[in-house]
This record gives sequence, C-alpha cells and structure tokens, in this order.
Amino acid sequence: MILLQLILSGILIGGVYALISLGLTLIFGVMRIVNFVHGDMLMVAMYMAYWMFALFGIDNYVGLLVIVPATAALGALIYWGVLQFAIRRSHEASILATIGISIVLQNAALIIWSADYRSIHNELSTLSVEYLGIRLSAPLLIAFSVALVVTILLFAFLNHTYLGKAIRAASMDRYAAVLMGVNTRKIFTVSFAIGTALVGIAGGLLASVYTVYPTVGTQFLLVSFVVVVLGGLGSLRGAVIGGLIVGVVETASAYFIGSSMKELVYLLLFILILIIKPAGLFGQQLPGVNR
Amino acid sequence: MMEAKREPVKLVPITRSHMIGCGLAFLAVLLPFLLQNEPYYLDTLILALLWASAAGAWNLAGGYGGLLSLGHAAFFGIGAYTSTLLFVELDIPPLMGMLVGAFLAAIVGLMTGLVTLRMKGPFFALITIAIAEVLMIITVNWSDLTNGSQGVSIPYKPGFENIAFDSKVPYYFFALMICLIPVFIAHWLERSRYGYELMAVRDNETAAQALGINTVRVKVSILVVSSAITAVAGAFYAQYITIIEPYHEFSFAVSIQMVLITMIGGLGTAWGPVFGSLIVTGLDTFLRDVFMGAQGGLQALFYGLMLVLVVLFVPEGLIPRLRKRISSGKEDVTCG
Repeated sequence: MILLQLILSGILIGGVYALISLGLTLIFGVMRIVNFVHGDMLMVAMYMAYWMFALFGIDNYVGLLVIVPATAALGALIYWGVLQFAIRRSHEASILATIGISIVLQNAALIIWSADYRSIHNELSTLSVEYLGIRLSAPLLIAFSVALVVTILLFAFLNHTYLGKAIRAASMDRYAAVLMGVNTRKIFTVSFAIGTALVGIAGGLLASVYTVYPTVGTQFLLVSFVVVVLGGLGSLRGAVIGGLIVGVVETASAYFIGSSMKELVYLLLFILILIIKPAGLFGQQLPGVNR
Repeated sequence: MMEAKREPVKLVPITRSHMIGCGLAFLAVLLPFLLQNEPYYLDTLILALLWASAAGAWNLAGGYGGLLSLGHAAFFGIGAYTSTLLFVELDIPPLMGMLVGAFLAAIVGLMTGLVTLRMKGPFFALITIAIAEVLMIITVNWSDLTNGSQGVSIPYKPGFENIAFDSKVPYYFFALMICLIPVFIAHWLERSRYGYELMAVRDNETAAQALGINTVRVKVSILVVSSAITAVAGAFYAQYITIIEPYHEFSFAVSIQMVLITMIGGLGTAWGPVFGSLIVTGLDTFLRDVFMGAQGGLQALFYGLMLVLVVLFVPEGLIPRLRKRISSGKEDVTCG
C-alpha cells in the first residue's frame, strides 16, 4: 500500500516536473540553448501568483490567465533582447548568457522581495483527497490534471498546426527548415515564449504547493535537467516520461533515505545516465550538439 | 620583469609591452609595502590574486582546452576542506595539506575527465555542475567529519608551514606565487607541442584526431592540472579567510566566479584571469563601499549583468582588445 501511495504521489509531482521539462527541452531542441533562466521563470511565476493572491485575493489558478501571457512575454523579451545574439556566437556564449540572466533575476527578486519564504494559504492548499487509504494532496492533484491537459494540448499544437510543425521542423534541421520557407527567427522567439509559458503554468500551479523564495528555481532547474537528460535532450516524449520517472524516484528516495539525501539520489542518477547513455531514453543524435 | 623574463630569446627590440610588463612587475613587488598601512586595500589585492589563481587554473581547462566546466567549485572545495580538516583533525600543517588537497582534486579531476570527455557540448558543463553539487551534499551530510553546514573554523597558529601570518604582506606574496603558477603554465602552453595539441583539440576536435592527436589524453591531462591548481587556491582561501562552509566553497557561485573573471580578462590568454580578477574584485570592493548597508544581492546582480554584457559585447575579453591596441602599428608581439 505504501508503495502504491509513493508511486501515485510521485506521478503527481512528476507530471508537474514533466511540464517544466517540456519547456526546457523544447527550448533546447529548437534553439540548442541550455536555458539556465528556466528555473527563475518558475520563480517569477510563483511570485506573480503569490502577490496576486496576497494583494487582491486572486486564486492562483485564476491567476494563470495573467501569469501565462506575462511569462511568455518575458521569455520572448529575454530571447529577443539577449539570447538571439548569444546563440550566434557559440554554445558556451549562450550558456553563460542564460546563467548571467539567471543571476540577475534571482538577485533582483532578492532585492525587491527579500529572502523571506512566502506561501499561499487558502482552504484548498492543505486539503487532501483520500480513497482506499491512499491520500493525495488536492493542489497537487489539480496541478497534475492541468499539466496533463496542457501537455496534450502542446502535443496537439505541435503535431497538427502549421506553426507547431514549423517548430518541429526547425528543431530537426534548422537549415532545411529555412529552405522550406520557415521563418526561423520568428519560430525561435515563439518557441522560447512557449517554453517559458509552460514553466509559467507550472509556477502558477506550484504556488499553492511550495513556498516561494528568490532561489526556489534552482532546485527545480536541477530536477528538470535530470528529467531532460534522462528523457533525451530535445525529446518531448522523453521529457514527459522522464518527468514521471524522476517524480517517483524522488518521492520514493525521500521516503526511504530521507529528504536531505533525495537530491543526491537524482544527481547520481543524472551522472550515471550521462556516463552510460548520454543520448537519454528517447534522444537522437542532435546535429547542433555534436559540433 | 616576470613577463619579460619569459620571453623567448628572439632578437627583437624591446617592445612597448616588455616595458609595460617590467613596470607592472616592479609595481607588483612594491605595492604591498606601499599599502602596508591600508589593510583594507591590501585585503582586496590578496583576494584579487586568490581569485586570479582559481580563475587561472580554470582558464587552463576552460580557455586553452575549451572545456566549459561549470563545477570547478568542486576542486576549490576539495582543496579548502582537505587542508583544513587535516590541520584541525590531525595537526598536519596546511602547507602539506595544500599538496594533499591538490593530489585529491587531481584524482577527482582525472575521474571526471575519464568519464566525461567523450561527451560533447553542453553535457560536460552539466555533469561538472552535478559533481560539485554532489560533493556539496556529501559535505553537508557527513557532519561527523566536516561539521556539516556549519562549516569549520581554523585555529590561528602563525607560521609559514601553517600559511598563517600576523601581517598581510606575506599573504600577498603567497597569493602572488600561486597566481603565477597558471600564468607560467599558460605561457608554456602557448609555445609547446602539448599546448598546440590542446588548442588544436579545442578548435577542432575531429581535425585534431585526424592529425593523430590523442584527444582524450590531452583533455584529461589538462583537466587534472587545472583541478590540482584550483585546489591549491581553495586551500589558500581557507587559510586566509580561516572559516569554510560547504554552501560557499562548493557553490555554483564560486564556479561562475572563475568563469566570469576569465571571460572578462580574456579566455585562453595567460594574463587574462589576473587582469579580470583585478577588475572584478576591485569592482566588488568598490560596490561594497558605495552601497554599504544596502540590501544583499546588489553585487551579485552586478555580476550577472557583467556576465551578460561581456558575452554580448567583449566575448574575447579585455586583454586581447588591449593587446590589439598596444601593438597596433608595432611589430607582432607574442607576449601573453
């Protein structure tokens, strides 16, 4: 029974990890950017949800209506203002540029909102659903359901719309895509905005589950790197399955080994995958990476 | 003086950069005595040299070898913790501990190299972050040995073998010595067969392989050297600050500090890290003066901003820029 409980709890949080990682892997797949800003976008989204709740009493799920366009716009701005210039230089340049932006965002948050831990307390946030002796937290259940719907919508968008197909084409072979008349400059900005909007949704959902503080993103960034590497850098399907696996592994190791060591477990998992199978479960050889 | 001495015996007239080098060397020796009564500035200078050593060590792998390590804090922390724990627990003088730390870091560097260096692109950067993170977690949780997240403070027992002095001047010269090690190695890389092999691997690994260079051996060996020197810098840091804690020594911020300093001074240039460190550490002190009492985070925000601006506008770093300006109109100057 405890095993089933752990697996189900793990899957719930894993669904949210999958959502965060989808954004990260989309950005990597299309632009070859290892995006260190990703975790901080989660932080920004969580702060937005928190302040809308604290100042105006707006529920964090309703708040998504504001958070999603806002994070998408911020993502587009970051790409358009800085990253598009960095990726023209080199891999290293784009990694370092995203690290720089990440440091700026974290410390701006620290200066503006201080290092205090803030969390949303409403009647829902402590509620849990119990069925057959298995107890699941209500906000996580909602977060998982929304993540599931968003994931399905994302796959539908990528598979069935012109823009979605253009994004996939650009991620498979950007030169061929250009030759087919795809405006990659536009596609890159749009993909970055979609990637950050995905993590924005996750931030809005997680605001009632976790406390928010300026460096909350780094922890999630680390997790989603593990997920993305496990699933295969650039693979969307891999991000979903990797997210669920990491969610379960993390929950189980927190229960069996202790929560201070759970990070160690998935970091070792991460190192092990990189050594044994760096392409991940679903990764293909990516032309941009093997330079 | 130092710079001029390392010039190969080419029959070139004394160039302007020779003279600048001589002047700077003279200044470097004289400066601590001039600042003897200004401990605050001397402290800044010592820290600048310290970070110049760590960044210089990073530069050997990151700049000359093209290995974008974002986890050099791992080696820095190994150096700091090894010398400190040997001193506190076993009473082994830190001068010895420093070498032991360098040796341990070299082993970790060797293992890192062996498992990672067939990896391409961003994977190497990611795995180095993970290694530093793992060491941090182990240090925090192995509290019997490391005193956990509280860190370890080092008792003050002055003496050369303990790297503890009652004046700041000896610290200065100690830091100067350490920071010259990577500079000399870099100079040697610029004119040795091994260095050419290394840079060939950095610039085009496939072509280097085709020329018969053992690319893995070249990359692993530079990572080992770089790790060991980083650990020496870490050990010196511990002795100078006299308190170490895992959340600082193994932190991502320390790794980034080395990268940022090197980027500003000039990636893959011998004197770049020294120059970059003087700028970054000097700016750090300046900002602390200006915003005294202001909320934390401002300096770090500045670091982040600087990193972005350097990547966008001066990706080659300041030394190559300046060198171009100094030697413009003159004959080819090959000083680092």
